[in-house]
Amino acid sequence: MRRASLALRHVDAGSCNGCEHELTAATNPYYDLQQYGLNLVASPRHADVLLVTGAITTRMATALRIAYDAMPEPRLVAALGDCALGCGLLGEQTDLAGPLESLLPVDIRIPGCPPTPAAIADALLCALEPGRGLAPASASAVRAVR
Amino acid sequence: MSAGRAAPAGPAWTIETQRVDAREWRDTCLHAAEGGERFLGLFGAARQAGGLEVRAVFASTHGQRIVVCTPERHRVDTLVDALPAAAWHEREAHDLYGVDFDGHEPLRPLLAHDRPLADWTVAARGRDVHQIAVGPIHAGVIESGHFRFHVVGERILHLDVQLFYKRRGLERAAVGQPLADGLAYAQRACAACAVANSVAYAQACESALGLAPGRETRRGRTLLLELERTYNHLHDLSAICAGVGFAPGTMAYAALKERVQRINAQLTGHRFLFGTVAVGRSDLSIDGPAASGARAELRTIRDEHITTWRQLQFVVSLQERLEGVGVLSREHAERLGAVGPAARAAGVRRDARTESPHLWYPGFEPLEPPLTTGDVASRMAIRAAELQQSLGLLDELLAHPLSSGTTGSIGRDHAMGVGIVESPRGETVCLLERDGANVRALHLRTASYANWPVVAHTVPGNLVPDFPLINKSFELCYACVDR
Repeated sequence: MRRASLALRHVDAGSCNGCEHELTAATNPYYDLQQYGLNLVASPRHADVLLVTGAITTRMATALRIAYDAMPEPRLVAALGDCALGCGLLGEQTDLAGPLESLLPVDIRIPGCPPTPAAIADALLCALEPGRGLAPASASAVRAVR
Repeated sequence: MSAGRAAPAGPAWTIETQRVDAREWRDTCLHAAEGGERFLGLFGAARQAGGLEVRAVFASTHGQRIVVCTPERHRVDTLVDALPAAAWHEREAHDLYGVDFDGHEPLRPLLAHDRPLADWTVAARGRDVHQIAVGPIHAGVIESGHFRFHVVGERILHLDVQLFYKRRGLERAAVGQPLADGLAYAQRACAACAVANSVAYAQACESALGLAPGRETRRGRTLLLELERTYNHLHDLSAICAGVGFAPGTMAYAALKERVQRINAQLTGHRFLFGTVAVGRSDLSIDGPAASGARAELRTIRDEHITTWRQLQFVVSLQERLEGVGVLSREHAERLGAVGPAARAAGVRRDARTESPHLWYPGFEPLEPPLTTGDVASRMAIRAAELQQSLGLLDELLAHPLSSGTTGSIGRDHAMGVGIVESPRGETVCLLERDGANVRALHLRTASYANWPVVAHTVPGNLVPDFPLINKSFELCYACVDR
């Protein structure tokens, strides 16, 4: 069975703001993420998916962890953009705690610098498919892994 | 980097580096400011064997002055009483390099996040006064930063801003890189200002190397800067509507922004124009059909903007939210060193495009602002007007194909160079120190850095629910500041 919706919570953990622009663009009339039941929500307490952007700065690592811990299970983590995925990182090592994978289990990978709104929409739509992400069939499996 | 006919038609900037000792620092800087030179930033830098240096940059109509000083036992006199715009710079130089500024009291931490609340906030006391803490994670798709509102009920008495959660250490990481490669660090500071920061960096390198861009390099960079301004202003108009909760306006301008970003991708291969600026040359070329195709689409976008903007004037519930909110007076804009559309909407007629010999703005004049009330309404109106101005500039620039371009030698080289660009948010400055062909120090003072303290100043007296709207009317980057 296809899951009908996913509540998405975004956390900027040290981006250049490109991923934020494109995530917002994915809700514009050309892509309209909402029509697929993909909604950005105000709190991690409401969220199924944590969408993380940026290189994970040392100064954001704690806030990111708190947001993740606040999420109800089952939950997914999406690395949105090349910085979160640990590719082509620019910066001083002492200022960076990432990539995301070294801090949280990553379920969805959305490459790009930044990923286009179409790529963001595609990746999130995949997470709605049966047997993927949080579709009901896999929810118990996600729980079992933890 | 070929020589010859590449030198610009107008007079190139001149650059003067002035080394002073710690006792002369304050007088030299204040003398420059009193003589009408504009303060563009103050930066600390580490030298060998634990040494320190501070540099201040000033601009006149014909070039820049860099005042350089080695503090005595890590101390110099503050500039902040005479130049309030230096406040964040001095706090940053203290946090990063341990420079003490005599007379700057209290010297509150800016980047150091491990200090007690009382060290970085202003005490507000009285009956029913309390604090609201917001962030670093915000409720929407917004960059990370922390705000402390001191309030009584819904009325804001004072705002303390703590940014730098997104600090990636880009400037330090650029040290030692070849000048050409250092550009990536300036570009990635911020996606929405990628062109402005890259051009400022390229200009700073070229200024240090004694080079000036030729005609096609200037045209190419100007085209990129105006494309960047166009999609940003559309974004900001959308965001202000979102701040009011007026969805039709939000969506109309979000759709127009999308169309400009698709033009960006068609012309340059990237929706944010990444990878389009280079040091010492321009690789961007646009053939006739591509230029005229983009030109036709931009004319349609201009017409739709004019129609949408006219419709917004009749939405009373939108307009009522904008007027008299978040007022910045002209006097405060001048004194605090506000830049860009926010300053122009307060009546400061300054636009770095007026004095840009290294870009392509023949006869450029800042617009007569539609409103100079300094409120959210005026900051929205000036974006709408400047958007039309930028679309007019793009129409001229795209009337002809664009070829790749060069730079040419214009005189002697220097250890330090400066680049100045009017970004969508205002005057952005890059100070670059080189060690031969490598970066020795990179300093970016973006328009957002200049304007964040101004936002905090504008907020008191307003209501908490108006803060997101005031913030969006400045629409400053966090990434550009945190670096």
